[in-house]
Amino acid sequence: MPEAFIYDALRTPRGKGSSSGALYEVKPVELLSATLQALQSRHPVDPAQLDDTIIGCVTPIDDQGYNIAQAALLHNGWDTSGGSLQINRYCASGLEAVNLAAMKIRSGWGNLLLAGGVESMSRIPMGTDGGALLFDPEVMAGAHYLPQGVAADLIATLEGFSREMLDEYAYQSQQRARHAVEAGYFSKSLVPIYDRNGLLILDRDETVRPEVTMDKLSQLKPAFEHLGRMGFDDMALERYPVLESVRHAHTAGNSSGIVDGAALVLVGSEAAGKGAGLKPRAKIRAAATVSVDPTLMLTGPAPVAEKALQLAGMTVQDIDLWECNEAFASVVLKFQRELKIPDGKLNVNGGAIAMGHPLGATGAMLLGTLLDELERQGKQTGCVTLCAGGGMGISTIIERV
Amino acid sequence: MIYYKKDTDHVVTLTLDMAGRDTNIINHEVSRAFLPVIEHLRAEKQKGTLRGVIITSAKKTFCMGGDLEYLSKTDDPEAIFQLAEQLKTTFRALENPGVPVVAAINGSALGAGFELALACHHRIAIDKNTTRFGFPEAQLGLIPGGGGITRLTWLLGVQKAYPILTGGHRYNPQEALQLGLIDELAVNDREMKEKAKAWIMNTREARRPWDQKGATIPGGTAKDPAVVIFLRNESARLFATGAHRLPAQRALLSILYEGSKVDFDTASRLESRHFTSLLRSKETKNMIKAFWSDQNFIKNGGNRPKGFGKFRPRKVGIIGAGRMGSGIAYVCLDYGMEVVLKDVSKPIAERGLDYVSKRLEQMKASGRKKPEECEAMLRRIQTTESSADFEDCDLVIEAVFENRMVKQKVMREAEEYIDDYSLFGTNTISIPITKLAQGSLRPANYIGLHFFPPAEEVPLVEIVRGAETSDESVARAFDFVRAIRKTPIVVKDDWGFFAARVQNTFILEGITMLSEGYPPALIENLGVQAGMPKGALALADHLGLNMVLRYENQAAEHYGSKYIQHPAVEVLRVMLEELQRPGQQKRAGFYNYQGEQPAGLWKGLEEAFSSSKKRAKHEELMERFLFAQVLEAVWCMQEKVIHSVPAANLGSIFGWGFPAFKGGVIQYVNDYGVEAFIKRCGVFKKKYGQRFSVPSKLRSIVSQ
Repeated sequence: MPEAFIYDALRTPRGKGSSSGALYEVKPVELLSATLQALQSRHPVDPAQLDDTIIGCVTPIDDQGYNIAQAALLHNGWDTSGGSLQINRYCASGLEAVNLAAMKIRSGWGNLLLAGGVESMSRIPMGTDGGALLFDPEVMAGAHYLPQGVAADLIATLEGFSREMLDEYAYQSQQRARHAVEAGYFSKSLVPIYDRNGLLILDRDETVRPEVTMDKLSQLKPAFEHLGRMGFDDMALERYPVLESVRHAHTAGNSSGIVDGAALVLVGSEAAGKGAGLKPRAKIRAAATVSVDPTLMLTGPAPVAEKALQLAGMTVQDIDLWECNEAFASVVLKFQRELKIPDGKLNVNGGAIAMGHPLGATGAMLLGTLLDELERQGKQTGCVTLCAGGGMGISTIIERV
Repeated sequence: MIYYKKDTDHVVTLTLDMAGRDTNIINHEVSRAFLPVIEHLRAEKQKGTLRGVIITSAKKTFCMGGDLEYLSKTDDPEAIFQLAEQLKTTFRALENPGVPVVAAINGSALGAGFELALACHHRIAIDKNTTRFGFPEAQLGLIPGGGGITRLTWLLGVQKAYPILTGGHRYNPQEALQLGLIDELAVNDREMKEKAKAWIMNTREARRPWDQKGATIPGGTAKDPAVVIFLRNESARLFATGAHRLPAQRALLSILYEGSKVDFDTASRLESRHFTSLLRSKETKNMIKAFWSDQNFIKNGGNRPKGFGKFRPRKVGIIGAGRMGSGIAYVCLDYGMEVVLKDVSKPIAERGLDYVSKRLEQMKASGRKKPEECEAMLRRIQTTESSADFEDCDLVIEAVFENRMVKQKVMREAEEYIDDYSLFGTNTISIPITKLAQGSLRPANYIGLHFFPPAEEVPLVEIVRGAETSDESVARAFDFVRAIRKTPIVVKDDWGFFAARVQNTFILEGITMLSEGYPPALIENLGVQAGMPKGALALADHLGLNMVLRYENQAAEHYGSKYIQHPAVEVLRVMLEELQRPGQQKRAGFYNYQGEQPAGLWKGLEEAFSSSKKRAKHEELMERFLFAQVLEAVWCMQEKVIHSVPAANLGSIFGWGFPAFKGGVIQYVNDYGVEAFIKRCGVFKKKYGQRFSVPSKLRSIVSQ
């Protein structure tokens, strides 16, 4: 069976996902185009050699609709002979794109592929694509489908994570992100965004707040309390009657930020890489998905990581560095607790709490961040995992070569 | 520069009056001058001593647009972007002092000048015939850069804003009112200011729609099906007219699409980014050169013989009431002249009047002319069968059948009645002026005035100077053409003058490709893709293959032993002699015809000329089409058929539709790069023959 290798990974900076964000003025197809152009300027890859381009996008309507992958390729004037595909596995989309690409390679039905994701949350707000699971009363209520934030609060309540623990985690994310930014850990793979005249629009992650303190974090209001009180708490308690109530501990400060961004990963077989004159950076050891209780929704990372480890024939101890998406602080704390991962190995350069979570792109971004850090630290193995809507989880294990 | 006056009701009038200029424009200086004024207004507002603001102008016009002088010279993206953003900040501040702001528009407001008016809460204009409003930017390959696109979108909706922005049309006050570009009309300055004051006194709070919570764009955004389908259709429509080759047209649609979906300030910034990239594009630079610099050269009398007083024709005689004569009559009437229209009989002359009346009906129906204007125009025309009625004409133009005898006959008849000072113009396309002037009583006053059909639309007139035509006659002809707001180019009395001679090389090149085995459809489509308005074969048919051949034969005669036969000549011979397909007039040419309308390429062409080359280097064929014309135009410059680069450029764009985004037929060389052009000619010469030889003076000509 051919192995799947990662030849490169890059990403845009993440811009605040609202009308005051720097990337609000950049349409999503341009975000994705910027990564395509950067890839081409970094490597002698001929787009005609690509067997497919798979792009994750969670709200694929309006300017992200009608297969934004194909739109970006054509907008960039690329040869699209391999075609392209837009996929949606909620927050797992960007990583799923990479995993699908790896599977195509391992099956022998693809040699060189682009995978990644894009999300302009400022232009196309989350949830604006509708959906039965979100809005159809029969489906939503039947599945006891909570807003993500309420689910995160439910996890914190069940696990006994206090507000302070969540805030401490958030503070650490900000500090780690600040350090990584200052030390230039991200600059290698970060593609600045310029306008059509070559004028700079954004060259750094916009939501990092080095000035944040525990005190400031503790003053923020719970963000999901009013949704909970409206009835979602009671919907949650119907499933988890063991609890007296849901404690609303997540705030804008200890939840992931809403941002805009895009990321790309170049994946290929050994032969394809050689043919294109590329140097492999890592091998994809295993990929997996699971789905857990949709009400709790965000607890997929631990079981899915275990599933991937099993596929790779590895144990938790075999992994040098971990990236677990910081959708909410409770998600990471729960994951860390379940797999007993030391602080020093997990999200070492901060995560979505500091830098934001551009839904469809995050998985691909985390993979790139992990790979850069493995190389920087001279370590070998890493695992990325994300929770996702509907109760899903995804994981990918890589090993440097 | 901005005069500040406050009345007892706390209403401030800001009067714009730029020093050392006839008109106000929008430039760095104005943008900066507004800043302290706005600061002061804010302070007044805080003290509670500001009720409202009226902005007006001390000039005849309100404000005439951006600083093209500066814009055409700058290339630094940061500087252009900051200029646009600075202007936007000023306009934003202007519409946000918390009190009502009224534009009291005393005269024309165009481009950035109209953007200033749009940045006020209310617009009141004096209803004057000479006043015009709108956005002429698109005609220069530009777009408004001061927030005009976004403001217009928010005021009128995407669908209504688009044609105003894309057409470059200048609207009179009535039309502007109807479209919603302005809010009120006034009869004079006093009433305008009274109305402005009244509006302020009756308006408590003025807030722009885009600064109001929950306000939306009328008709919706590009998220709404009706709007997004409109924009998609318009994008397709650009291809139908060739306008998709103009970056400004594409940018406009892009800004309306994206801009309607984001907030006001972001939409405005997108506008600045497109504005910057357009201003730096070759296409826009070429268009600014042609329609602004070259145009100014001509307007300022470039190529007009010096030392003669200005000729102000008051009454024009026209001989021949056909399409051409009637068209010329219409334009003369339109610019205030009296017209005597003569033909062989009064009833035939009346046909010309009918033509003018019909056209005026259309103008009235579309609101482009007021009924009074139309009536006044009709009162100024007189039809006749007698040359005696030319007696007090300052100028007589003959536009009769293209026949030397006929033309000379009507000339002599008219000359009996007109005085020694009157000018006589002949509208011929191919008969030498010098020959026609033989037998004239006053050959010094005899001149060619070559209008292009339809005369009321094509903005070019070739002034052809015969051997005996005096300098003064040339100057007067020039003044006449300027008086009907057309572009005069002075040309030598050689075959085909300038326009027809150069255009013919395009036609011949296309016909040559046919003989090389290229499929006719490919030839036609690539001609259009190169930017020409019609395919070469279609043009040949329209002109008549005999005429195409005749021009080339005249060239042969002119060059004598130096002439090398053009490969198209043999094709023309086959078409005319063997296949008997001379063109549109006989309803058989390169095309088939149903009535007068072309009905597809003639199927026999592929067999007759064994069209075999299905693969072609498209780029190369398109270049040949343009290179052939460019080289001929350079020969014309070298042989003094035409006397200046601006005249050649504008002549080519207006005369036969050489692509404006290339800046015209000489600018093309600069656009392509002089050395690259010469090198490419070398390649073409080897492959296709001597006609691609480079004229010896090319370098010095194109650097003028």
